[in-house]
Amino acid sequence: MIHYQHVWKSFDQPVLAGVDLEVATGEMFALFGPSGTGKSVLLKTTIGLITPDRGDVSVAGISVHRAGREALEEVRKKVGYVFQNAALFDSQNVFGNVTMGLPEDELRRLSNREVARRVWESLELVNLEPHAVLSKIPAELSGGMRKRVGIARAIVGRPEVLLWDEPTTGLDPVNTAAVERLIKRLSDDLEVTSLLVTHDVEGGLLMCDRVAMLDGGVVRFCGTPDEFHACPDPLVQAFIHREAAEAALSSIAAVS
Amino acid sequence: MQTRMGYDRLLGTVARIGRVTEVTLEHAGSITLLAWQVVLATARMKVAAREVVNQLYIMGIQSLPIVLVTGSLAGIVTSQQGGYQMSSVVPPYILGSLVVETVVLEMGPVLTALVLVGRIGARITAELGTMVVSEQIDAYHSLGRDPVALLAAPRVLAGILALPLLVGIANIVGILAGQLAAEIDSGLGWESFFYGAKLFWHSWDLFYSLTKAMIFGLAIPLISVHMGLRTKGGAEGVGRTTTQAVMFMTLTILILDAVFPPLLLN
Ligand SMILES: Nc1ncnc2c1ncn2[C@@H]1O[C@H](COP(=O)(O)OP(=O)(O)OP(=O)(O)O)[C@@H](O)[C@H]1O
Ligand SMILES: [Mg+2]
Repeated sequence: MIHYQHVWKSFDQPVLAGVDLEVATGEMFALFGPSGTGKSVLLKTTIGLITPDRGDVSVAGISVHRAGREALEEVRKKVGYVFQNAALFDSQNVFGNVTMGLPEDELRRLSNREVARRVWESLELVNLEPHAVLSKIPAELSGGMRKRVGIARAIVGRPEVLLWDEPTTGLDPVNTAAVERLIKRLSDDLEVTSLLVTHDVEGGLLMCDRVAMLDGGVVRFCGTPDEFHACPDPLVQAFIHREAAEAALSSIAAVS
Repeated sequence: MQTRMGYDRLLGTVARIGRVTEVTLEHAGSITLLAWQVVLATARMKVAAREVVNQLYIMGIQSLPIVLVTGSLAGIVTSQQGGYQMSSVVPPYILGSLVVETVVLEMGPVLTALVLVGRIGARITAELGTMVVSEQIDAYHSLGRDPVALLAAPRVLAGILALPLLVGIANIVGILAGQLAAEIDSGLGWESFFYGAKLFWHSWDLFYSLTKAMIFGLAIPLISVHMGLRTKGGAEGVGRTTTQAVMFMTLTILILDAVFPPLLLN
């Protein structure tokens, strides 16, 4: 469904150095990696928010970077994007924000009642009380609430593919569970393809069909959760075990 | 040795001029592209009328107080300055012509535009810059929305409409305030003032004034949107870009103002 083909991207320094990865239709896929390795950059190349220096991404067989504007619009219609920092429109209230998640042609077709119902439904799915938040502007919400409004906006258009950039970071355990259940439900019931960037390794391993580890600009590991557990790579082990992370940290300290 | 250093310095200067030209051309190119995209979005009816009205309110109505103040001050200053420089050789009613022409042709459009650079241009750059660094522009793209149609076009259209109106108002209060000042300073009455004004008046002057206003009204939002959209690097970046945008707009207004007379006043 999503196919990264040798994606290269440098800013001041190289970030992605030939990422190859394929996420199958209906799959739940988790992407781990140390902070600053380019996980968000990679997600952004999927819908053309960042253009790779070399390589390409295809979504449902459509080239994101080579096939022109209309193809890109087609891809963006299929894909919902949950931003790491929510990226809510701060001049609009929650209702306006979530409504923006409905594609323009669909908005034209639906009645006001139907739009309101869809918005309401999405807010409930992310464990928000619709009547309490609908008329609030983003500045009046807590960080965790903003994050969930961002998720509601990404799912209200019923996309085939969802890209989640750390959807549970900064959420309390109850809401983390709610969001995780939502991701799982979307994938189980609606066959949505999910690519999940997360630092919650335990959660990712439990939920996902396959996982990958991005490090040094390349995919350092890709496989099932069982294979991940069994992988001898010290970085992988550091992501699984707290003690291994401590050891990795002290070896880094020793080197520097 | 001496010539060698001189040569190096010359080369350095040439290189710097080259760089400045390159940067200027690059800006001009993407501003032209932005203008074209605004035209397309408007022609395809993708611009929400409500948002244009909203921007008109912010640019037009909310700028009225400051435009009234600068307009009257422009008239008063011109009248005082003119009165001071008039010798006894020219008849006193000439002051009427001087004030009206100066206000309508120069002071009204230019001062109003400069005030709007600070009030509107800076605001647009900071607003869009913040949207870039907080990924709101990315969010629009991700949802298949076009930021040009949603954000740029309403601001540009409102600028084109609002500036001629504001300049018209600035002209009127400038003339009235100038007449009042002439009356107080040198006792030049209402009738002689406007007798002088009519003597040299062409209706072309008003057209010139409002055309200028419209072009300034196009330049300010175009430049400020363009600068806002290329903001990089957090809150500090927003501050830096906003300052640059204000400088850029001010210079553009002054340069355009110098280009106008040879084009339109012959
Ligand atoms: N628009 C940009 N301009 C310049 N550099 C960028 C840009 N976006 C990302 N980077 C750089 O790319 C690198 C990777 O950033 P990215 O946000 O993808 O990291 P990440 O893996 O998502 O980290 P985290 O887990 O902390 O979110 C960083 O060094 C960052 O500074
Ligand atoms: Mg990130």
